[in-house]
Amino acid sequence: MTATASTEAAGVAPEDIAAPRRASWWRRLLRDRAALLSMAVLAVIVLGAVFAPLLAPYDPYANSRQVMVPPAWAARGSMAHLLGTDGQGRDILSRLLYGTQLTLLIGVVSVGLGGFVGSLLGLVSAFYSRIDPWVMRFVDMMLSFPAILLGLALVAVLGQGAFPVILALAISSVPDCARISRGIAVGIMKQEYIEAGRAVGLSDRALFGRYLVRNAISSIMIFISLRFGQVILIGAALSFLGLGARPPLAELGMMAAQGRDFLLFAPHIAVIPSVLIFIIVLAANVTGDALRDVLDPRLQA
Amino acid sequence: MRPMFNRPDFRSLAGRIGLAVALAAGLPALAAAQSVTIVREVDSNNYDPHKSTARAASEVLFMMGDTLVALDPDMKTIAPGLAESWEVSEDGKTYTFHLRDDVKFCDGKPMTAEDVVYSFTRWQDPETKSPVAWRAGPLEEVVAVDDHTVEYRMSAPYSELLYQLSQSFATIIDKDNVEALGEDFGVTGFNGTGPFCWGEWTPRNKMVLTRHDDYVWGPSFYETTGPASVEEVVWQIVPEENTRTVAVLTGQSQITQYVPYIALEQLRAAPNVEVVQSDAAFWTYFFGFKIDKPTVNDAAVRQAINLAVNQEAMAEDLFFGEVQPAYSYVSQDALDWNHAIDGELLRYDPEKAAQILDEAGWTVGADGIREKDGVKLQPLAYVFAGSTWQKISEYVQAELRKVGIDLQLQPFDATIAWGKLATQEFDVFGMSFPYISSGDALNLYFRSENMPTPNRMNWDDRETDDLLEAGLTATDEAVRADSYGEVLKKVHEAAVWLPLYHEPMTIAQSSELKTVTPHNLYGCGLYKGLGIAYKE
Repeated sequence: MTATASTEAAGVAPEDIAAPRRASWWRRLLRDRAALLSMAVLAVIVLGAVFAPLLAPYDPYANSRQVMVPPAWAARGSMAHLLGTDGQGRDILSRLLYGTQLTLLIGVVSVGLGGFVGSLLGLVSAFYSRIDPWVMRFVDMMLSFPAILLGLALVAVLGQGAFPVILALAISSVPDCARISRGIAVGIMKQEYIEAGRAVGLSDRALFGRYLVRNAISSIMIFISLRFGQVILIGAALSFLGLGARPPLAELGMMAAQGRDFLLFAPHIAVIPSVLIFIIVLAANVTGDALRDVLDPRLQA
Repeated sequence: MRPMFNRPDFRSLAGRIGLAVALAAGLPALAAAQSVTIVREVDSNNYDPHKSTARAASEVLFMMGDTLVALDPDMKTIAPGLAESWEVSEDGKTYTFHLRDDVKFCDGKPMTAEDVVYSFTRWQDPETKSPVAWRAGPLEEVVAVDDHTVEYRMSAPYSELLYQLSQSFATIIDKDNVEALGEDFGVTGFNGTGPFCWGEWTPRNKMVLTRHDDYVWGPSFYETTGPASVEEVVWQIVPEENTRTVAVLTGQSQITQYVPYIALEQLRAAPNVEVVQSDAAFWTYFFGFKIDKPTVNDAAVRQAINLAVNQEAMAEDLFFGEVQPAYSYVSQDALDWNHAIDGELLRYDPEKAAQILDEAGWTVGADGIREKDGVKLQPLAYVFAGSTWQKISEYVQAELRKVGIDLQLQPFDATIAWGKLATQEFDVFGMSFPYISSGDALNLYFRSENMPTPNRMNWDDRETDDLLEAGLTATDEAVRADSYGEVLKKVHEAAVWLPLYHEPMTIAQSSELKTVTPHNLYGCGLYKGLGIAYKE
């Protein structure tokens, strides 16, 4: 499946075209130290989030009379609460672990949903050029709704919760993904192997699934991975505005918002979750960039 | 153990504030010697006494205008205002007010009985569409007997009348001014008889008031009856609470009631700031239950909720001991509070809460949540979004979780919350309200005709209605106190609410000012502003 010289043989399995240099991309990725570091950081964060129930030292929802205890390294901190407690006396480390779980979940689900719908729209509209102008004008229309505004409107209708936020983020991811994937697909549709596929009488379904999707998917995935960081950030912003998860659920943006009132007196409550958001977004972006560098065929020359 | 914030790191705070001081010192002295700046959180949409229910409007209206009678800071004693005396008819239906003859509006025009008649007529006029018209009681007509005598005639006695007439909604306004400004009345100008006059308003930025030099008719409980000591009062909007704290610490604002509780400790420690607090706390926060909805229709559940929440810990940890934990639905200092039920109020006792729930058949399920006949004990609460209610509701949620009650919280932005709170969709609601007396609060919340809002509990009880009517129309104080006392007993026994805390009026002021006496009327701590004066 790594043979690369057989494209001229018409009717050959199209996997051969899909990823011509699959063997070498991850080796180049390993040489990129920034990428390695950011992937390691992401991996630690994801593991921490997934195993939150095992790792969290306290119940993240249980309040106590120990309110606003500073982190362990601060003057009056205590080892009992490594990152201190918040205004309700809840352990910040435990809430951080659970909060990351929800934050990542919101990011993954909404990017996955928006990416799927968006790229499907883009691919279909490139494949059937007759509907192309209609679909793309519709996408332009969607592009004019800012994610935050959309989130506000959805929350007004559905009430506060994680679901409206996911919906808003997914919807706002659709137009970008649609445009990018259409651009990629239009390029692919001009390739000779598509002509060849049509010439040998492949059905639309086979042509779309085997030729178009398989060739476009890696570029689309790169874009989606870059979009992930952005979505986390907008999701946190929506939560910060009080539109996100319903209490007692923890979410990083919401934790930062709760700490805002204590900023002068107990800054750790707001700063710790904010720093974590920063790290996640940075690591996601660096990883996405590195993936693009090694996978994008146009940068390989 | 006392929480850690009691010994805050004042040095690091001082460092941050030091920067602000340095910045402020670089500016020219903003405030002239005899001007005070009051910082507050929000502005009103207008300053027409009949067209706003906002506290932000009342705060300014109390300073720009006067009412027939004034309310003492003890929240019980009615003092003469524009009326120097009054008589009540035998049947309690007619009040005759004798007006002072030396009162002038800001533009110099003398105030007469005609102005009083015009003000009340406009208040009640359906054209005005006043949301506070009900406060005037069963008013039939207001008649000017002569230039300085007014008769207030009602179809039934109304024992709340004098208290309601002390509110900013009953401010005496100038007909010519209202007609000249039309829609812009209270927006581009306001001609009142108060200790201060309309200067300039830039909405959502500041309201500048200038001293009314002829003013000598202030209420007698102030040290001076006028004119005011300071020449100018500036109401400055500063939405962010940390910024307001710094403004007070750096002297950019001389006085305000809008500082966060967390900052009071520091403000008390600062040498240039003084913090004063009223004994009376007539602004109460509570959760109310819809008594006809599943789960909370069980009196045992409502009682258990009352027993499961530690109001004292909440007042200490969330509000730093600056509020009074509440076990009663109105302050126990309020007029007509029934002291006979003092000992029966539900207080924190989580074991008893669990026991009551067990006895009522609510058993703990596998997930730690109680259930009965397949119904989970998960009441749905609608609350306001925003930091105060978020703190309160998360606290209550965590407390109830400990006894196996899973309170579901659904916060709404204030713009849609009021509409949502008028529906029957929820089981529990969070609310706070100002009041003058027990009767004021009870008539608002427990009359069956006030369903679905503000009687969101669906408390539909004939006897309560009759007692409230008896209290409202009582001409004898003892009858009134008995009637309201009976209603208080009834609703507390039924545990219709979960009272959380009473908020006292807390004012942070510059130590260059004489110490003010905090007022509680409609939550306006500075009332007429006559107490604001620089030390000699």
